[in-house]
Amino acid sequence: MALLQAIDVTKRFGGLTAVNKMNFELKKGEIVSVIGPNGAGKTTFFNTLTGLYRPEEGKILFNGTSLIGLRPDQIAARGIARTFQNIRLFGNMSVIENVLVGMHFHLKQNMVSAILRFDSFKKEELEAEACAYELIKYVGIDTSLSNELAKNLPYGGQRRVEIARALAADPQLLLLDEPAAGMNPQETEEVTNLFRRIRDEKEITILLIEHDMRVVMRISERISVMDYGEKIAEGSPAQIRSNSHVIEAYLGRGAVAGQHEEMVK
Amino acid sequence: MFSKEKFQDFLAKLNTGYTPYVLILVHIMIGAIWVYSSPRSNVAFVVFISSLLTLYGLNTNKIFKLSAGLILALVVMPVLGVRNIFYLEIMFQISVFAALSLGLNIVIGFAGLLDLGYVAFYAVGAYLWGFFGSQQFYAIPYAPGIQPSDLPFLLPGDMFYLFIFIAIIVAALTGILLGLPVLRLRGDYLAIVTLGFGEVIRVLANNLDKPWNLTNGPQGITPVQRPTMPQFAVDGFNNFFGGIIGHTVSKADVYNVFFYLLALLVIVTIIQVVSRLNDSKIGRAWTAIREDETAAIAMGIPLVQMKLAAFATGASFAGAMGVLMAASRTFVSPESFSFMQSIGVLTMVILGGTGSIPGVILGAATVTVLNLQILQGFSLYLSQLRQSDAVIPIINFAWKNLSTQLDPAKYQRLLFGAILILMMIFRPAGLIPAARRQRELAADDEE
Amino acid sequence: MKRFSETINVRELLRPIGQMIAFSLGGGAVLSLVVVLLALLLDQTAVGQNLQARYSVSLVTYTLANLPQVLIDGLTIGFVYAAIALGYTMVYGVLEFINFAHSEIFAVGAFVGVEILIALKNAGILSAASLGVAYLILLLALLAGMTASGFLAVAVERIAYRPLRGAPRLVPLISAIGVSFFLQDIIRLVESLTTGQFNRIIPTFGNFDERLIFGQLPLGATTVVLGVQIKSLIVILVAVIMLVGLNYLVNATKIGKAIRAVAQDRPTASLMGIDVNRIISITFLIGGTLGGAAGVLYALKFTRIDPFVGFFPGLKAFTAAVLGGIGNLTGALLGGIVLGLLETFAGAFMSAFTMGAAGAEYKDIFAFGILILVLIFRPNGLMGENVSQKA
Repeated sequence: MALLQAIDVTKRFGGLTAVNKMNFELKKGEIVSVIGPNGAGKTTFFNTLTGLYRPEEGKILFNGTSLIGLRPDQIAARGIARTFQNIRLFGNMSVIENVLVGMHFHLKQNMVSAILRFDSFKKEELEAEACAYELIKYVGIDTSLSNELAKNLPYGGQRRVEIARALAADPQLLLLDEPAAGMNPQETEEVTNLFRRIRDEKEITILLIEHDMRVVMRISERISVMDYGEKIAEGSPAQIRSNSHVIEAYLGRGAVAGQHEEMVK
Repeated sequence: MFSKEKFQDFLAKLNTGYTPYVLILVHIMIGAIWVYSSPRSNVAFVVFISSLLTLYGLNTNKIFKLSAGLILALVVMPVLGVRNIFYLEIMFQISVFAALSLGLNIVIGFAGLLDLGYVAFYAVGAYLWGFFGSQQFYAIPYAPGIQPSDLPFLLPGDMFYLFIFIAIIVAALTGILLGLPVLRLRGDYLAIVTLGFGEVIRVLANNLDKPWNLTNGPQGITPVQRPTMPQFAVDGFNNFFGGIIGHTVSKADVYNVFFYLLALLVIVTIIQVVSRLNDSKIGRAWTAIREDETAAIAMGIPLVQMKLAAFATGASFAGAMGVLMAASRTFVSPESFSFMQSIGVLTMVILGGTGSIPGVILGAATVTVLNLQILQGFSLYLSQLRQSDAVIPIINFAWKNLSTQLDPAKYQRLLFGAILILMMIFRPAGLIPAARRQRELAADDEE
Repeated sequence: MKRFSETINVRELLRPIGQMIAFSLGGGAVLSLVVVLLALLLDQTAVGQNLQARYSVSLVTYTLANLPQVLIDGLTIGFVYAAIALGYTMVYGVLEFINFAHSEIFAVGAFVGVEILIALKNAGILSAASLGVAYLILLLALLAGMTASGFLAVAVERIAYRPLRGAPRLVPLISAIGVSFFLQDIIRLVESLTTGQFNRIIPTFGNFDERLIFGQLPLGATTVVLGVQIKSLIVILVAVIMLVGLNYLVNATKIGKAIRAVAQDRPTASLMGIDVNRIISITFLIGGTLGGAAGVLYALKFTRIDPFVGFFPGLKAFTAAVLGGIGNLTGALLGGIVLGLLETFAGAFMSAFTMGAAGAEYKDIFAFGILILVLIFRPNGLMGENVSQKA
């Protein structure tokens, strides 16, 4: 059974149709990329999946149950975690606090146990902290930075913290919105490996939006191409590389198939 | 030449080794002696109370800080207070407003929700005990002013203690009931709706003297009972402190000390609760919501539920303080719960620094002293001038001719308004900013 | 001549008048129908008997007898609310900011107008004025109030809001609350120092307090006199003229276009060469001017003012703006009229329908009930943008 299924999902803003009858399927354990020119509706599609937007039409099934009408926090609790295109860390919280926020709905503590400091509360906090340190290390951040305010980290570090925060939610599906944007080639290489490890070791399915074709081609098992809110192509990296629709979408009409090297750079 | 570096070096020297200990003790001594020896001096009081700031600001070890603070709050202040009731009243007012501001600070400072009707919850607590702790239950069939004076009391005065807890629950529930529909709204709308709610509560208190007389209308409910004060407590206080105080302390004064200490207890409770919550998933969720709502909800934080928690926590403390207020004053009336009171508490929080516990306490003390002491002192001074033959020189204006309508004590709005505007423009993070809050207010918050 | 008439967009002049008539008639008719039906239903029940016992008049007669006056009063205050609400809605449209101090802008207008009239009265001019001159004097007071409020609004924006542009949303709001409180006491201070008292009463002059009588309606034992106070007519007329003027300004002139552009997208408008600061100042000027006029009209209608007079009308006008859909000019008009009518109906009939348990004393908080209901069930108002939180 598919982990995630989007059927005829449509999202409109006023007269503008940002996502149009999008059909999409994701199997457990896959790494899939969604690519497309700017404004193609990729991020909007992500936002409908995570409940930030409510689609006007269509169905979204996760593990066979519908996500439509659920609030974003409920969807997160069902096992979908995400990162944002323009990093949305809690800048004035420390790195470790950011990761701890990701665990929010797994922690059993409540106001009473927090105020009265029951043993169960203390134990849970200690465990959560240990787990957060693990994750910080896992995404490749020096744990000595744990108490640094998130906004003081370099750009690449912030991207990693965002991934650690998403992993803290212990998701089944991880949505990454341009995770390599703004990174240098070495960093890009590192995070690409990190994504693979997340999938292989933690068995988390990954769906990513990415513009950096090196990342997309290297890591994806399948690629979906969006343009004008619609899916125009889908297939393996090799198929997509030679698909004329895709090249048209990226380079405009009249571009020839042979120019795909340009796209891949 | 005077150089900035030298001055800073000098300051740093003052703050190392034994110097700060000496400075603190000297400050406390001077303040205490001055207040002890002058019956009604605002300056003396300000010098005295600012020793708390010195204590907070200077670098000493924790045990010294804590014990000095405890002795100041629990022994020195009550003793000075009963020696001269003028000071006890200010201290009581400051502690009440500090507690209210700390409560409001949970809502504004931690969860970032602007509540303009905060005293409504204070009113809920006050009227709760005002109704059950007085004869009002038996006065229901009578219109205000015509009820017989020999009606029995519904509950014994010692139920006061129980009602502090009941008020916490009732105020929290009221907060949840109000918050549930409106917490989804954007911040500025929430502000107006809470303002409206505050007015609704006040108007209800004013008008629920019919068809059944529940609140006794604008006249308010009196007498509201206090818990019993055993004679041995009064005697003990006299035996112990009688020598320093210089006169026999009456039961009424011991009551005042008692309520002052209760207010302190509430303050300590709030500080404990807030700092513990802050260091749990709830506090982290509040900060996350304040930082970035979208990211917070995407990380699985239920926004409305968490905001409700903040709203209810803040409300519950106001409820407890309401019960305390009703008992200490033995009187509740709608006047105490006007929109201006809410803004007063807001001003204290903003002046001190949203999210900052020491800041908010400083804000409460400053605004209370300004409001109750300086403005009223100014009023007194003006009325003395009016009775004199003094004339303003150059413009040749006789003070006698000054309108009697001009009473500075009534110009609280001017004071609150000026503080709010100036703080927002020049120091939005407050006098003692919370470390986090300061950085956040400096940054742009985009929608 | 022909060219001149072409430059006037007649449609934009007529449209708001049509809307006002429609809103007034519609709102009035619906509410009248509701109370009359309620009266018919409850006439024979305990409610009717209670009223019979108290005033020896049947509920239906009571309702019908009061209805004409209630309608006129409701419309009068409704138009005042609409004029204030436009100030809120314009500023919100441009800055997404609740100008909490707008209620004091309104109060300052009222005070300036009333003080001028009092000064003229003390100079003996008022009592000597012929009817025509009386109307001119009223116009003068109105214009003075408008000017003072307009400039005050601009000054407040420059001093207390502009430095905070770009700060988190609640920062300018808190500053605005501060301005509101500050101005209340400034009015009080100035009035106390100059006149020795801060409760002022508008002098009686002209024929504004007289009633125009249209006829009499026999109604059982009583007779209802159908008439309207001249000052109510003046309030409505002036408000209508201003509202039409504003609508024209915003929808059919170049400045209006610039205002709309800034409201839509400030950065882009700025790139297009629009001086955003100037447009924001103009917006405050227009809103303040309308508020000041509303202040003078309010004083004319209710005669007595004090420094805190702006608080409730301000909050109700804000409610009206939200009810209509904040940021939307037509919405503010609709909201004002509907709220004015609703509130006046509630104040007049609630006591009769609840057997005296709750009456006009709840009039002031009635608006908050509406505000909360609107925000819960229709946060985008009757015809406006969505105000509920973005996800």
